[in-house]
Amino acid sequence: MGNCFKTPSTDDISLLRGHDNQDGAEQALGPPPPYQERVPVYHPSPNVSRLANQLSEEEQIKIAKRLGLISHLPVGVYDGSSKKGKECVICMNEFILGESLRFLPCMHTYHRDCIDDWLMRSFTCPSCMEPVDAALLSTYETN
Amino acid sequence: MRLIWSSGYVELKLNKNPVEGFSAGLVDDDDIFKWEVMIYGPQDTPYEGGYFKAHLNFPKEYPQKPPKMIFMSPMWHPNIGEDGNVCISILHEPGDDKYGYETAAERWLPVHTVETILLSVISMLADPNDESPANVDAAKMWREEPAEFRRRITQCVRKSQDDL
Ligand SMILES: [Zn+2]
Ligand SMILES: [Zn+2]
Repeated sequence: MGNCFKTPSTDDISLLRGHDNQDGAEQALGPPPPYQERVPVYHPSPNVSRLANQLSEEEQIKIAKRLGLISHLPVGVYDGSSKKGKECVICMNEFILGESLRFLPCMHTYHRDCIDDWLMRSFTCPSCMEPVDAALLSTYETN
Repeated sequence: MRLIWSSGYVELKLNKNPVEGFSAGLVDDDDIFKWEVMIYGPQDTPYEGGYFKAHLNFPKEYPQKPPKMIFMSPMWHPNIGEDGNVCISILHEPGDDKYGYETAAERWLPVHTVETILLSVISMLADPNDESPANVDAAKMWREEPAEFRRRITQCVRKSQDDL
């Protein structure tokens, strides 16, 4: 209650990367930072970001389960067909031929990198707010 | 990355989806992660006539993570901390934490934009939420001493006009 302004204002991700906000502008003009070149950073809960090798066992299990669920969601490559939507509403860029896409059970489509990052934070479709795990479970039941 | 400031980025977005009630720019031309916005106090509220300055600080992970919003102009509102920090659900990260009573749909989603954030803030000004006040004294005054509450806001409105 009323503790909003006590939220830590520093972002521990930036501490981990050894960056400060000063270099933000130059990065922003290019593509998002290439996470895959570093030890992956995970978000076991809000405002908590850890390098993969610093996670507790419990957090590792939680993340492994989430990664497992995400891997069940269909992926594909943008082939220009408009049925799949034309734009990724997360990065606001139009799909380009050959880009990796991920399809959610609610039929919303995003760049694979954009939505996978989000699903690690919240297992909800950002467009319709449909919980993705519930949809997955009901798919399993009907099969 | 969608946080690209080119000349008239905001103008372009606003023309596509006309929204009244605010204007936006960069705090410093070299840093697109810090925006300065001006919010016009909504009509038929005690904030009417005010020009309230606020900063939006975007994390590098935007839009995966929400920005923080801080009023630079003095404000008096249950959901704005005395340090100016705006406390509304859509600026809260998703997940299981102390804001557990909020649903995923109420919290930050990566489809939010500067416009949707500012629209939420404008509606917050018109319609305070005293379930989780960031300013407990303002929340108490809003409930118990509405006349005094309005008087405090009128002071903020005057100050914001003087600062223009
Ligand atoms: Zn995308
Ligand atoms: Zn959806």
